[in-house]
Amino acid sequence: MEVEGQATSVKESQPPKFALPVDSEHKATEFRMFSVAAPHMRAFHLSWVSFFACFVSTFAAPPLLPIIRDNLNLTASDIGNAGIASVSGAVFARIAMGTACDLFGPRLASASLILLTAPAVYFTSIASSSTSFLLVRFFTGFSLSTFVSTQFWMSSMFSAPVVGTANGVAGGWGNLGGGATQLIMPLVFGLIRDIGAAKFTAWRIAFFIPALFQTLSAFAVLIFGKDLPDGNFRRLQKAGDKTKDKVSNVFFHGITNYRGWILALTYGYCFGVELTIDNIVAEYFYDRFDLKLHTAGMIAASFGLANIISRPAGGVLSDVVAKRFGMRGRLWALWIVQTLGGVFCIILGRVGSLGPSIVVMIVFSLFVQAACGLTFGVVPFVSRRSLGLISGMTGGGGNVGAVLTQLIFFKGSKYSKETGIMYMGVMIICCTLPICLIYFPQWGGMFCGPSSSKIATEEDYYMSEWNSEEKEKGLHLASLKFADNSRRERGRKEDSETTPVDESTHV
Amino acid sequence: MATARALLVASLVLSCFLLPCYGTVLFSSLQGTLIVTASPTSQQVLKAGVDKITVTWGVNQTLPAGTDSSYKTIKVKLCYARISQVDRPWRKTVDLLKKDRTCQHKVAARPYNPANRTSQSLDWTVARDVPTATYFIRAYAYDADDKEVAFGQTTDANKTTNLFQVQAISGRHATIDICSICFSVFSVVSLFGFFYNEKRKAH
Repeated sequence: MEVEGQATSVKESQPPKFALPVDSEHKATEFRMFSVAAPHMRAFHLSWVSFFACFVSTFAAPPLLPIIRDNLNLTASDIGNAGIASVSGAVFARIAMGTACDLFGPRLASASLILLTAPAVYFTSIASSSTSFLLVRFFTGFSLSTFVSTQFWMSSMFSAPVVGTANGVAGGWGNLGGGATQLIMPLVFGLIRDIGAAKFTAWRIAFFIPALFQTLSAFAVLIFGKDLPDGNFRRLQKAGDKTKDKVSNVFFHGITNYRGWILALTYGYCFGVELTIDNIVAEYFYDRFDLKLHTAGMIAASFGLANIISRPAGGVLSDVVAKRFGMRGRLWALWIVQTLGGVFCIILGRVGSLGPSIVVMIVFSLFVQAACGLTFGVVPFVSRRSLGLISGMTGGGGNVGAVLTQLIFFKGSKYSKETGIMYMGVMIICCTLPICLIYFPQWGGMFCGPSSSKIATEEDYYMSEWNSEEKEKGLHLASLKFADNSRRERGRKEDSETTPVDESTHV
Repeated sequence: MATARALLVASLVLSCFLLPCYGTVLFSSLQGTLIVTASPTSQQVLKAGVDKITVTWGVNQTLPAGTDSSYKTIKVKLCYARISQVDRPWRKTVDLLKKDRTCQHKVAARPYNPANRTSQSLDWTVARDVPTATYFIRAYAYDADDKEVAFGQTTDANKTTNLFQVQAISGRHATIDICSICFSVFSVVSLFGFFYNEKRKAH
């Protein structure tokens, strides 16, 4: 304990050196994509790669479904149910993951989940019926909750001016896995089959690739990652630098914040839609346009692969509009982009020829994925104490959207896939409207400026999550630092003093 | 950019004119002039990769000469019975043959000589990629333009009689099973190994 005490005092007089410029919480204020400097950029690369691996595993089955459905004698209903199962596991897992991050840190939380779901991917190779297929897809889908740990980790490592970008790039490059897998799996399957295996054996062997990738990425996270710029949770907790919070308090402050619920709903109609499309698009192109497995896979892949720029672009756009218009700009950008995504979804359902269908799909993917990035430009500001839980709720809401859309429009043979896609577009537009209801007293909402009835500050908003006892114990200090750093969300026209705000509307 | 677009439009328009040449044959327009018999008895279960089917086909000898003058090739296929098409839109029966998905597995393709009208037959080992389902056998006769002109099948017009089943291979091997289990156990054990290591380092 002597040593720990000494370390704290040394820290106060001599701040540790970081490769990137940092703010008062030691979060990086710059985002350098091609650096692997510890701890910030290293955490970035570890989190997006492990998240990518989880996406590859979760959506490894869809491109091979034309083979699997014959091997396991599946019906259209079986396939629909398995698709729903693959995204429903993560609904609650994401919320649990949020809380786990708040309590144990993103590194341990994500690596544990990844290693515990890897068996489900290995067992996919030995599935022999529609029930076992559904079960393995269900348990594999739990790994999608590493999304929450990714966003949490980025929000812990990167400061307000770049958090949207960091979240967007990490989320986007992870989501890329959903597209990459549509290319990788048919390729690996083809290779193994050409070596001489029967079709019904080749797809089974192919599943070892995503499974191994997942296992290895978890090892990398455990060995090379750090929870916070200053170190890992456990060590910091022992040194007194990181306070331990109570689950019930974190939970309470998360679920009572209505903004978390609204974002959960709207995220269901950008990310949830993305998951749904990942599940159905390969089969859609294969069956509707009579393409080869390989070709359908390539087209399906281009949807997910757009994530390499689209989601990061959403994050960047969020940060760019925030510089000028603050939080109000973030909200408007999110609403506009997501609504346009819904419009292109409707068009996709109406287009009947191959070429235009591909073009519309790509445009649709750009908008829908950018909306995901824009959502996580807003999430870090909803709560500081329950950041993990809010991220988890939003992420979980994404999966609920996927479950709902697949249940309503893509189960069995009630609607043809193209009609389902069109109706999904209508639902996107309707479920994006609640963004108009989000209001921050200190920054405003889409249609209202910041509160002028009383002087509302960032400190008031974030301190409202702590009661006076907790403040006496000093548990609120991290939130105070964050409040100070978040003053930028007022936009450029405001100055940083807590003076009565200007009534003039920018938008 | 503009020339590329013009080229694309032109090729799209031209391809529309090509459509009538291919893919407009309807199944209902075909004559049932072929007689096809197969060795599996009704309700028999065959194992994929192991069991053999002997298929015999030929033109109905009672038909007038010249009926088969345009036949150039006969293709024999394994087709799904109605029960195996339920809730499986990728096996749907559609009248337009280009879009029809009833017969997805090729058994054989043989050239046909109208001068020599005797039936032909062959032995076929059920392929290893044939799924578990109920089937019948159908043969199509093609003309010189590779268009269907006639057919024959082992079942009746309603596809209810004389159907047989195939039991597919599982595709699983002992090696795959063992590797799956070993790697899974390894993943979980290594996680706890890491935890233990962390706890040790913290003290």
